[in-house]
Amino acid sequence: MNIIVCMRQVPDLVEELELNDDGTGLNREYLKLGVNEFDDWALEQALLLKEEHGGSVTCLALDTPEVDNTLFTCYAKGADKAIKIEGDFANGMTSHSAAKLFADAIKAMPHDLILTGVQSVEDLDGQVGVLLATNLGIPHVSVVTGVQVNGKVAVVRKEYAGGMLGEFEVDLPAVLGIQAAKQAPRYAPISKVRAMMKEKKIETSASADGATEAGITIRRMFKPESGKRAEMLEGDAEAVASRVAEILKERGLVK
Amino acid sequence: MLTFPEKIGFIVLAVVMLGWAGVLAFRIGRAIGRGRGHPDWRHIRATLRERILAQLLVVGTNLPVFFQRPLVGIFHFMVFAGFTFYLLVNILDVATGYFPEFVATLRAGNLATLFNLYDLAADLLSVGVLIGMSALLIRRFIRRDPAFNFRANVLLNDRVRAGAIRFDSFIVGTFILLHVGSRWLGSGLQIAASGQSHWLEPTASLAAIPLARLPAPVLQIGIHVTWWSALGLILFFFPYFVRSKHIHIFFAPLNWFFFRDRPLATTEQDGAGAKHLQDLTWHQVMDAYACIMCNRCQEVCPAYAAGAPLSPAALEINKRYYLNQHLTDFVGGKSSPPLWEFAISKEAAWACTTCGACVEVCPVGNTPMVDIIDVRRALIAEGDALDANLQKSLENLAKQGNSFGQSGRMRAKWTQALEFKIKDARKEEVDYLWFVGDYASFDPRGQESSRMFARLLNQAGLDFGILYEAEWNSGNDARRIGEEGLFEMLAEHNVEALSKAKFRQGILTTDPHTLNALRFEYAKLGHTFTVEHYTRAIEYLLREGKIKLSRSLKYRVTYHDPCYLGRYNRAFDAPRYILEQLGVELIEMPRNRADSFCCGAGGGQIWKGTGVPGEKPAENRIREALRVLADPGRKDVPLFVVACPKDVAMFTDAVKTSGNEGKIIVKDIVELVAEAIDFKPATQPAKPVALPIAQQVAV
Repeated sequence: MNIIVCMRQVPDLVEELELNDDGTGLNREYLKLGVNEFDDWALEQALLLKEEHGGSVTCLALDTPEVDNTLFTCYAKGADKAIKIEGDFANGMTSHSAAKLFADAIKAMPHDLILTGVQSVEDLDGQVGVLLATNLGIPHVSVVTGVQVNGKVAVVRKEYAGGMLGEFEVDLPAVLGIQAAKQAPRYAPISKVRAMMKEKKIETSASADGATEAGITIRRMFKPESGKRAEMLEGDAEAVASRVAEILKERGLVK
Repeated sequence: MLTFPEKIGFIVLAVVMLGWAGVLAFRIGRAIGRGRGHPDWRHIRATLRERILAQLLVVGTNLPVFFQRPLVGIFHFMVFAGFTFYLLVNILDVATGYFPEFVATLRAGNLATLFNLYDLAADLLSVGVLIGMSALLIRRFIRRDPAFNFRANVLLNDRVRAGAIRFDSFIVGTFILLHVGSRWLGSGLQIAASGQSHWLEPTASLAAIPLARLPAPVLQIGIHVTWWSALGLILFFFPYFVRSKHIHIFFAPLNWFFFRDRPLATTEQDGAGAKHLQDLTWHQVMDAYACIMCNRCQEVCPAYAAGAPLSPAALEINKRYYLNQHLTDFVGGKSSPPLWEFAISKEAAWACTTCGACVEVCPVGNTPMVDIIDVRRALIAEGDALDANLQKSLENLAKQGNSFGQSGRMRAKWTQALEFKIKDARKEEVDYLWFVGDYASFDPRGQESSRMFARLLNQAGLDFGILYEAEWNSGNDARRIGEEGLFEMLAEHNVEALSKAKFRQGILTTDPHTLNALRFEYAKLGHTFTVEHYTRAIEYLLREGKIKLSRSLKYRVTYHDPCYLGRYNRAFDAPRYILEQLGVELIEMPRNRADSFCCGAGGGQIWKGTGVPGEKPAENRIREALRVLADPGRKDVPLFVVACPKDVAMFTDAVKTSGNEGKIIVKDIVELVAEAIDFKPATQPAKPVALPIAQQVAV
């Protein structure tokens, strides 16, 4: 079984974020990028499936700063191949463009199952997986928390709001947007990552022309504005706690 | 004295039994040889004299046996002294058996005085052995000292669980009583047979009084029987001895001879880790044979005390019983199963705080802690699932250079609240580089202490700077977790930052873990730095009068020695000197200096999400402090003084979780110093102050 995991680099939220001059995006000059957390879960799911059924795991990423480190980490965790799609993507991109780039690369590769994170901090609408499946003309399930493969069919669990779960049967190949794997992403020992840097090569794939497809246009980006109706509780722990208790009583939440 | 058949019989027995034991001993030697590495003979030859002296001192005085258990130490010493003397006694007794006339002539000759002394020593030491051994047997079998028990959650060899150590102890103890008792009784019989008491053998002469009533032929038979039950018994015992715990009399001295080749502070240099028994180094395999199964290490282990399934003693004992049971296979080249299947459970390996107490207390010089770090290295390499918080911390270290998961750019944010700017040692030359450390940089309490230390240095007129965001975590904890690659990555980064920085004199640090890493562990990358702990710097500044105390503090305090400052770097006196100068009343806890009890944070424990099931080590420690500080006559709240930023966090929590809020206050020592001085507006003196930083301690 050929599993492909699409991985994106997203801003590290530990760092302080700044807006660019025209206020339509982040100032990317000093931005520190790291792997999208959900993509890491997708990789874990892929590795678990490989351990169960055999096959190979290929990690596919866009050529963004620090992507090599991410891909060598994939190798260290057990991926068989790492490919980066070449191009100048340092300024970020819409989910439409990303999906198109991934789709073009994947068309040329054998694929039975394509996993990607359900969303990323830069793309909370979770569209990459959907658009990718559309571009490839194959089925798609999103918000997946469990995957079982039986031959040419996958049985997947999809999480709904309100604690509902749906179980689907999907013909392979298919694209799955992974919310969580059976276990948390494994740790990649640094010595192994470093060994991979010496042993393994990251393959490259040229990006097709016209990758910049229309998606959404950002008109204005701004920090959340604080509302005026919040009551800030001040004082020491005792004072705050007794005020909280009072409020709860006032609103009739406790008796 | 011996009849001809007896003479022949003894020789035949000796050849068979010693041959048998020799084969076993040879196999044990080969088992040890299966461990990695080999002794550095050239280095050993060059240091031979000091080694032998140190070893004779440790073994000859039994010093480490007395620590922790003084009474047991006395009994052990009685057995040890007698047994050592019996090396001579046995030779002479065999000689007397074979050539009685020759020995008699020898005794009557010029050496008579020497022989008289010898008789007296043999007589008294024999009684010593009998008393000592009986006391030790009573302790084990009648009083049933709970120190010999293992908790049910500890992974333990089935045979040991079923009482194999008790059985072994019974055999060894009985052998010693029979061997020495027979010799003593034999002397009594000889005195009785000769009809005249020998004042140089006072106790045997006493025994001879009732024996003299026996008829002469019975006495003669008795003399033969006791000769055999004293000396023949040794031969019978030899093959058993090689497999028993008694072989510590051979391996413990050997262990002490090699002890200096494995200093605590550097752990294992190559960092390869050990999945199987044969992946351990040769001396780690030898530890299993040196172990006397006394459980002192278990008694001082903070993880065991907290209810974790970790017992360093069980680790060595499991190794030993595995070898006893599979010696032929192992020597034949078969691999052992993974260590976590028979020597130490994974959960136990992850529970170690690497405080080093087990190594410090071990009377035979074993280093079980190093095995644990090697097991962790193997587990990390195997991709064994990590505690989620621990994994997050390691990933943070790799990504941000700190375990807090904060942006590395925020590392020096604590300096912004200072009234002056700390020099950037990357940009301008300073005398002293201050390596701040993670907790002192990111933890709110630690930051407060860091600012106080900065003000102190500034007031003293010291020319110092920091690395700002170029400083990363020193990697000490990452290494103890078994993440050698991460340690190397952090160390490489820091070495590069340090070699680019300009500092004339040396490094100061507010973190004991950093102290150990920079001083000893970066040697792996070919770098050693001259580095001192901040308490040492404060001590110098006080001694030299560079900071003047304006008032004497009236607190009752106790002081906690951090593991990596005390046990690892033997820095016990500077903090105590500072406390003395401050005028506080220092009341020591029973476990102080090298016997200090870990706060439970080290070895990456502070990053783990799942805590220990029972009383946390830090809570245990706070209760110990409260016991010594208890004084019903006084109303003031005593202080718990520490010299490590992690300790501040750990013990402040423990005061709360143990329900002792308001009864004791945790303070960094620098907070006390700051309280005792009047800070003046910073005025830079014309000539910067120089600290007489000590010469680098050789690794």
